Amino acid sequence: MSGRFDNDTLFPTILAFTVHDIKNSLGTLLELIRQFSAKLQGETGDLGLLEFEAARINHSLMQLLVLYKVGANKFSLAVDEYPALDLLQEAVHQQARLSTLNNVALQVDCADDLPAYCDFATIANALAAVLNNALRYTRHAVLVSAEQDGGYLRIAIEDDGAGYPPHFLAADLNNAADLDWVNGNTGLGLYFVSVIAGLHKNAGRCGYVTIDNASRLGGARFRLFLP
Amino acid sequence: MKLSLASKPILIVEDNPVIRKSIRDMLYSLNADTITEADNGVAAINAMAKTTFEIVLCDYNLGPGKNGQQVLEEARHRKLIDYRSIFILISSEQSTSAVLGAMDSKPDEYLTKPFNAQQLISRLSRHFARRDYLGGIEKAMAKGDLAQAIRQCDALLERGDVKMRLHLLKMRAELAIAAGDFESARRIYLEVLQHRDLPWARLGLGIIDLQNNNIEQAIAGFQSLVAENPMLMEGYDWLTRAYEALDRHQEVEQVLQQALELSPQSILRQKKFAETADKNGNLEAAEKAYKAALKLGKHSVHRSCSDYAGLAKLYAKTNAGEEALKTLNEMRQEYANQPEAELRAATLEADLFRAQGDDEAAQQALDKALDLCGRLGSKAPRELQLEVARSCFLNQQHDKAEAILHGLIQNHIDDEQFLNNLRAMQSGVGMHNYSEIQIQKTRQALIATNNKGVALYKQGKFKEALDLFEQAIATMPENKTIILNMLKIIIHDLKANPADADKERRARLLLKKARQLGVEQHKLGVLQMEFGKLHRPAAAKA
Repeated sequence: MSGRFDNDTLFPTILAFTVHDIKNSLGTLLELIRQFSAKLQGETGDLGLLEFEAARINHSLMQLLVLYKVGANKFSLAVDEYPALDLLQEAVHQQARLSTLNNVALQVDCADDLPAYCDFATIANALAAVLNNALRYTRHAVLVSAEQDGGYLRIAIEDDGAGYPPHFLAADLNNAADLDWVNGNTGLGLYFVSVIAGLHKNAGRCGYVTIDNASRLGGARFRLFLP
Repeated sequence: MKLSLASKPILIVEDNPVIRKSIRDMLYSLNADTITEADNGVAAINAMAKTTFEIVLCDYNLGPGKNGQQVLEEARHRKLIDYRSIFILISSEQSTSAVLGAMDSKPDEYLTKPFNAQQLISRLSRHFARRDYLGGIEKAMAKGDLAQAIRQCDALLERGDVKMRLHLLKMRAELAIAAGDFESARRIYLEVLQHRDLPWARLGLGIIDLQNNNIEQAIAGFQSLVAENPMLMEGYDWLTRAYEALDRHQEVEQVLQQALELSPQSILRQKKFAETADKNGNLEAAEKAYKAALKLGKHSVHRSCSDYAGLAKLYAKTNAGEEALKTLNEMRQEYANQPEAELRAATLEADLFRAQGDDEAAQQALDKALDLCGRLGSKAPRELQLEVARSCFLNQQHDKAEAILHGLIQNHIDDEQFLNNLRAMQSGVGMHNYSEIQIQKTRQALIATNNKGVALYKQGKFKEALDLFEQAIATMPENKTIILNMLKIIIHDLKANPADADKERRARLLLKKARQLGVEQHKLGVLQMEFGKLHRPAAAKA
């Protein structure tokens, strides 16, 4: 920063506060949209789109805030044990209206007593953002599942869309510079989950993320591995 | 099995009318019919004072005035909600738990804005399910019946429910610590840590080390814990306590500073930092922290006139007499007609006027302080009483100083840290060892009473032993050793003899008093457990 900002920390702080402020307005905006939608039962096509986009903005801002905190060393995880099912449900609930909007069949597959060790809010939000994306690109169905896989809890979000484009599959998700920030679909969401996954550690193992097009439904498959 | 909120009293605290309406609609869709709304913190507290709500949905950011965390803090402090209530803190920021550094008042659930009805339903359902499952334990804990809480916890653990196992183990370990049973707690924490590195288990091990006086080991544990979990505020609080136990006040200050940089909103930490920096001679940092505490105190249940007095004393130290008097006036305005504030003001004024050479005004202020101190009696904080005594010494009124110190020594003879403060005060005014003879005499008397009481008890003379301790309590009503010994004897008596309602009542009162006096929970826990076992159904006695 040049000119009026006399140190390096001021601008990021202003940025964080601004994002925070926008998020507050956005919250009110979303509520107004919902209230209008409720009044206009049926004729809500455009309003639905509005809600969808507002939710996307909200995810981006939330991720920006968390990444800012990670960068400024103001973030640490609050790891504890939770039912994995609760975690998946939270992500699904956040996106519930969007799935009904696009008539997507959203299915959850997870054992009742499977435990997840993680920061609940952060992981649920990250999964919700990935799910939001899947709901955008899928045709009819999305499957959210969790299973134990060796020393990891493996959470998968699969759809029946066209799959990830080749440049996405080739990119190193853990490297911000490797992501295509310019040509739309920046992958901020994927980068974010990958950073958050990496902060989860246990017994010498680290969390990580993979993407491929090996979905059981025929489209894209996102997988998050938590140690 | 749809969730229904019919006839459950619910409070919504939210300043934004759009969001308030939205939450209300969500609740209506769940058959809620008893909803109260508040658009600021004071209104929320007033509503909670009238009604015990089962559900409180409270936004963090409530505009000018109290924030959501301060509402929760006050509600807990004033017991406006109980273990049956669910307090959901709503905030537009995530990881609220880590960002907001309140010491003890954690909400039952968090919700991040914006949220929808399904998220709210899942929070409420989860909480109600948990409450149904753990209600027995929590009810026993709320009643202070440790033995019953532990029995219930063990019974649930025996059922082998995988989903709740870790949560139950955490509760069980905390109950064991409360009961002074450190070995069981340590076993649980070690077992948990074998499988997974969970911060609460490491915190628990550190707490046990500290209580067992392995202070260096506790410090090492807490240090590595906060290094790896920098937003774990409890870690800093315990590290602070560990350093305090070794009188390492510079480190106490450093740790508090670190915690405050991450979470500057905690008034209790600001206060503690101010006092520590003051003691360490870092007056600039202390001034800043006192001012921060005053500002935070405007809307906090933890506000206290002692912060004004601390700041004024700081100014007196740096010879900014005018600033000091100004601060005291502000305090008088904010704490009008509160004797403790007036006592603080008068005590400090005596110092300030003396420093200005106005002996007459100093004497007048001191007379006023002595009068207030006499009227407040043991309700006056003990450190404040020490200051009045100090002022008496400086005004050459040794007999009055002695009268105050006599009471303090009687009541706190078993608190070496306080006695050291007393000695330091006397050294500070050139009266080294002034009270040493009295301290020795009081201590010998206490030991003699104790020995005699215990001897009587061992001879089976319960009644004589009790009479003796009753007499001792009359002269030193706040002496922890005497209270604990009396409790032991009554409980043993109750065990050996038929039930006696009077004695049970006496025991309950003593337990309460011991808690009020701040006897450490793990010392009290053993007695609470034994007292709890007395109430076992007849089958257990047979």
